[in-house]
Amino acid sequence: MLNRVIAVIYAAALSAAFAAAPVAAQTLEKIKQRGVLVVGVKADYKPFGFRDPSGAIVGFEPDMAADVAKKLGVKLELEPVVSSNRMQFLQQGKIDLMIATMNDKPDRRKVVGIIDPLYYASGVNVLGNKKAALKNWEQLKGQKVCGIQGAWYNKPVAEKYGADIVAFKGQTEAETALLQGNCIGWVYDDTAFAERLADPKWKDFEMTLPTILEEPWGMAVKLEEREGEWGKFMSKFIADEHKSGRFIELEKKWKIPASAFLKKMHEEYKGKS
Amino acid sequence: MRVAQTDLPVLRPFRIGGGEREKWRLSARHGVFLAAAFVLSAGVAQAQSAPSAPAILATIWKWTPLLAEGFALNIAMSFLAMAIGTVAGVPLGLGQISLRRPVRDTSWVVTQFFRNSPWLVLLFYCMLLMPFEISIAGTTVSLPGWLKSTIGLSLPVMANVSELVRGAVRSIPYGQWEAAEAMAFSRSQTLRMVILPQCVKRMTPPWMNLYAILTVATPLTSVVGVSEAMTLTGDILSSEGRTELLVPMYLYLLLAFFLYCYPIARATVALERRFQVR
Repeated sequence: MLNRVIAVIYAAALSAAFAAAPVAAQTLEKIKQRGVLVVGVKADYKPFGFRDPSGAIVGFEPDMAADVAKKLGVKLELEPVVSSNRMQFLQQGKIDLMIATMNDKPDRRKVVGIIDPLYYASGVNVLGNKKAALKNWEQLKGQKVCGIQGAWYNKPVAEKYGADIVAFKGQTEAETALLQGNCIGWVYDDTAFAERLADPKWKDFEMTLPTILEEPWGMAVKLEEREGEWGKFMSKFIADEHKSGRFIELEKKWKIPASAFLKKMHEEYKGKS
Repeated sequence: MRVAQTDLPVLRPFRIGGGEREKWRLSARHGVFLAAAFVLSAGVAQAQSAPSAPAILATIWKWTPLLAEGFALNIAMSFLAMAIGTVAGVPLGLGQISLRRPVRDTSWVVTQFFRNSPWLVLLFYCMLLMPFEISIAGTTVSLPGWLKSTIGLSLPVMANVSELVRGAVRSIPYGQWEAAEAMAFSRSQTLRMVILPQCVKRMTPPWMNLYAILTVATPLTSVVGVSEAMTLTGDILSSEGRTELLVPMYLYLLLAFFLYCYPIARATVALERRFQVR
């Protein structure tokens, strides 16, 4: 909720600021001139982007950013962003590229230049108690399943599979209920479970269901740069990375469970010359 | 000997200051309480964590250098915002007591506007209205987020300093002005040589108070994405992914702010006592 309020304030302030926005220079040229690529990444979303004790931002997405910088032959600078300011930073020109766990949504496409092809996808899955031995979504029928209040997929999961969703305020509360055995599983973003499955605290739990309601993530540049040189460069970059299987490599490096999306993209681009 | 009750209208001796005001001040007891809360929460967290997980205090210690870096940014921002705010606020305050009506009115409006605007709103405006870099005569100077938010924080400081100056000048007994006039001082001479030197003394305690308030307000900048101690604490928590770490970690940060602000609060009290008008 707070995030939404902040986003609204941002939007209001930005509309006032728009008049003063400077005319955008060609980003690709600017990057080469400066010798520095500034990429906005998350610093609070392990393992996609988080801090190590030295303060450096590391993870799946920072590694992608490093690849882009390497290809351009420039230095990399990572700028921590949050969901409520990532698109504004891009519009302002504070960052050249955004790789910040952003879902591809039609309304966002109007604001920033989301690059095709998309680079990752998260979906909905269940962190289930091993005792429940979940094999398919239909097994959830009539069972108590933990969830997070306000998650958009609570309703479809309840309606389609007949799960009895017990919605909690935050992740911590849902975790506690799950560990205490109040529900057979926890329905949430599959990417959020990646981190937990590596933790011995969750050794009695598993993620065995196929991911559903998949939402792809997109990297983004300034809206007017999408069809420009910089957007085309990024588009080619992502396609190449899918083709070479580099994203899958990074996924393994950060111990993220193999996503069906990356595999599918790899197969699709492998065939293309 | 028992003091006899009396119905006579006796005026009790008037006591200045006294313990009444003291109790609202930050005291060592608050520090002890905070430290105890921190130790207690760390103990509880330790009991909650998995046996294989590293100790809570060790984990916090591991992240302390990073947190200290963030905290240093908080202190730097508070220093800079205080400096800018004071330099801008003193002329504004003097403007409020100007004999020229347009100057007086404009200063009043500016002061009231920034004094009564929420700090967070001012921060958002500074963050978004100011460009991320400016070109002056060909050279491009970048304005990082922390600098922009420091300017955002200095605006309310400026308005508060302005009020401090106005209040301090007004609090000097009028006889001082008259005496100076009788000795053929001009208005500006009176201000410079008679009034303002007396004001400095009176303004110092509230000015230090304002500084302490500003310091504890710097974590506001975490909302606009500045990587200061508060933001880093959030990052650290998500990096550790241990729910039990949440309470001790934030208490640790609170303790750091206390340790910084406590000496300032004590010094303010001491100065207030010393400068008390008797």
